[in-house]
Amino acid sequence: MYGLVALGYHITWATSRTMNFSQGHTVMAGAVVAYGFFVGLGWPLLPACVATLLCLAAFGAAIERLAVRPFFRAASPAWLLSTIACGIITENVAMLFFGKDARAFPSPLTQRPILVGGAGFYLQELLIPVVGFLLMGGVQLFYHRTAYGKQLKAVAWNPEAAGLMGIHIPRAVMSAYVLSALLAGVAGILLAPILNVAATMGTIIGLKAFAVAIIGGLTSAPGIVVAGLGYGLVESFVAGYISTGAREIVGFALVILVLIVRPWGLLGSRPTRRV
Amino acid sequence: MARIGWVLLAAAAAAVPVFTANTYYLYVVVSAGLLTVVTAGLNVLVGFSGQTSLGHAGFYAIGAYTAALLTVRAGWSPWLAVLAAILVSALVGAGVAGAALRVSGPYLAMVTIAFGIIVESILVEWVSVTGGPGGIFNIPKPPLSRYYWVVVGAAALALWLVGNLRRSAWGRAFLAVRGSDVAAESLGLSAYYVRIMAFTVSAGFAGAAGGMFIFLNGYVSPDSFTLQTSILFLLALLFGGEGTVAGPAIGSLILAILPELLTSLADYRLILYGGLLMCSIYWLPAGVVGAFRRKGSGEPAAERPPTRDAPAASLGLDRDGDGDGKTMLLQVEGVSLSFGGVAALADVSVTIPAHGIHAVIGPNGAGKTTLLNALSGYYAPDAGAIRLGGQEIAGRPPYAIARRGVARTFQTAQVFGELSVLENVAVGIAGPRLGGVVPALLGLPSTRRKEVETRRSALALLELAGLSDWADRPADALPAGFRRRLEIVRALARRPRFLLLDEPAAGLSPTEVKDLDAHLTALARGGGPAIVLVEHHMDLVMAVSDQISVLDYGRVIASGAPEAVRSHPAVIEAYLGVAA
Repeated sequence: MYGLVALGYHITWATSRTMNFSQGHTVMAGAVVAYGFFVGLGWPLLPACVATLLCLAAFGAAIERLAVRPFFRAASPAWLLSTIACGIITENVAMLFFGKDARAFPSPLTQRPILVGGAGFYLQELLIPVVGFLLMGGVQLFYHRTAYGKQLKAVAWNPEAAGLMGIHIPRAVMSAYVLSALLAGVAGILLAPILNVAATMGTIIGLKAFAVAIIGGLTSAPGIVVAGLGYGLVESFVAGYISTGAREIVGFALVILVLIVRPWGLLGSRPTRRV
Repeated sequence: MARIGWVLLAAAAAAVPVFTANTYYLYVVVSAGLLTVVTAGLNVLVGFSGQTSLGHAGFYAIGAYTAALLTVRAGWSPWLAVLAAILVSALVGAGVAGAALRVSGPYLAMVTIAFGIIVESILVEWVSVTGGPGGIFNIPKPPLSRYYWVVVGAAALALWLVGNLRRSAWGRAFLAVRGSDVAAESLGLSAYYVRIMAFTVSAGFAGAAGGMFIFLNGYVSPDSFTLQTSILFLLALLFGGEGTVAGPAIGSLILAILPELLTSLADYRLILYGGLLMCSIYWLPAGVVGAFRRKGSGEPAAERPPTRDAPAASLGLDRDGDGDGKTMLLQVEGVSLSFGGVAALADVSVTIPAHGIHAVIGPNGAGKTTLLNALSGYYAPDAGAIRLGGQEIAGRPPYAIARRGVARTFQTAQVFGELSVLENVAVGIAGPRLGGVVPALLGLPSTRRKEVETRRSALALLELAGLSDWADRPADALPAGFRRRLEIVRALARRPRFLLLDEPAAGLSPTEVKDLDAHLTALARGGGPAIVLVEHHMDLVMAVSDQISVLDYGRVIASGAPEAVRSHPAVIEAYLGVAA
């Protein structure tokens, strides 16, 4: 399930060598907005989801325009800080509208758990990796098979040359951010019934997703999805056999291990140094 | 102007307890003082070495809990406890940096966020030691009116220490790595090691502030060390002005006072911080201090032409020779290197003697720069050996090769823009010999003496190169031709055995090329380093070279004296495309 969020980092990174550091907050926004439409306004599930995704697309575009584009070409990590700034503003705004408490999100797929050999799980939890794999496949096809996807990749390699070939760079980067926000929206909607909706849920999701992105390799979509699955499994094992407190610590240790052994990720491509 | 500012700030700090005994005001100033200590240290990491950390609340917490445990459980004196807090945080900082700095930029920021959250959750979970969510109580609490002076003094000390550090070889190394880690490594600096040191120093400062923080309230709990705290640290620094010495003080003061003025808006605090962060990124990229700082005093009055008749040869003389200098060879044997199936170098063998000028020429894309990059360690060859004085150096990192006496310049001149021209050369003179970081912080007499010496030799080098008028101006301000010259001077300051020049004449005017010609010849004849010259400028190559190797499609097609190479059929074919 982190893989889905982590894919969002991959998409913007693969296009612009920047990313939304507040991807977790975007997921939170997805969950909160979906809650607003579905529970708050009482819309049916499908229109509520569609409306949520539309909102998130706008949100992604706004992030790109406000926090990334002004600093795109600057060598400084200004975009990093500005996306964090956007994230904390989002969190505060959500808190003002939504309140500080977590609320349950009703879903038809979490009504009754399915029991398999003593362990219970919800259909919803099964849905997440399935959607994750489907979306990963989609993203891969998009980047490797469609002309537009190839354009986005070209922008990442060499923005100047891509610009000279007639690619509208700001638009390409913005599409990547919209796509990434959409993925976060999907993740938000899917996670909402499992985790409960809260304004403060963003940070830790974003962080774990980034850990997954590092482990899998920021440049590799399949690596990220596999790492996401693995990370989720390790987490639930640690939580089950050691303690919930040890979960974060083990996850962090994993990231450090990967950074030491393969800083470019398990399936990522080793960056070539340009002199 | 800057001095007046400092006096005013000190006077204001001294005036507060004179005019009011109100503990509330004292408390606010003390908070600002603690924040100053943290941000002064963070400035070393962010402002000097250019890395971002969003986990410094973690080091702040480690300092706080170390001091708290030592005073409450072990009964140490607060002074010793704070000292221990500094050491422990710095140590943990070094460990975290060792892992986290294998990556940089966005990765590093995220890893530091994770570190901060881990520390926070350990504080909450490890109840037997840290007291869990409730924290540690009954910490001895000195009277605020007295403690005020301790913290204000510590803040002043922190700023002074960081000021010293900036003026030392370490300070230059930090900024050099930030400016261009590629160039810094060519001068023998390991960017990784330099950044770890920056991280360690900043963690130590955060630990000091954390250690002092606990005596303010008399208790400590995990609430004080959230991600928001880390963001606040960074915000105070950026808002005040990263890279400036005064920035941390100003930013801390503003950010300690502002929330107090706006207590009614507590629910909007994150919006406020976020907004402030956005504003300072948009409109105050150099912070409040940077915005007020006046520009330097214009261009040098007149551009003095370089002292043409200067004995340029003395630039490379008096190298610390260890006897084998004469027989040392740079040997390339059967080196191959390909990028994604394209062979940039195919079975290249060249031997470069310890003296004279060896030119490498060839059409565009022939692999000349790749060869230089392999020689200086930036690329590891797929096959073959590169030996320096008989020792294998292929695959060794650039800084290790640089330390053995190989210096180089780059196709696009890489000067350290934020350092002055003189400091650029000083980085070259010091190379990896930076001395201890603690003496540098304290500005000990021994460090100062060394500084005077470095400055003198740097000035002498600049004088020879005709750059002395620019000595104290930022290297960014140099025109392109002078940058190239500075880069060569900086490389020579290392007193290398071999100097690799990558198209030094590109973009120079004909007079400048002639000048370069004279300098290179003088250098080579005067016992300077052996020069490997990659160049397109045939006039220059033919005039100065003792030996020429011609590359084409990654292969050596001819090698020998200039006249022989000029009439070699394969060379004529490669250049003119005619079968001879």
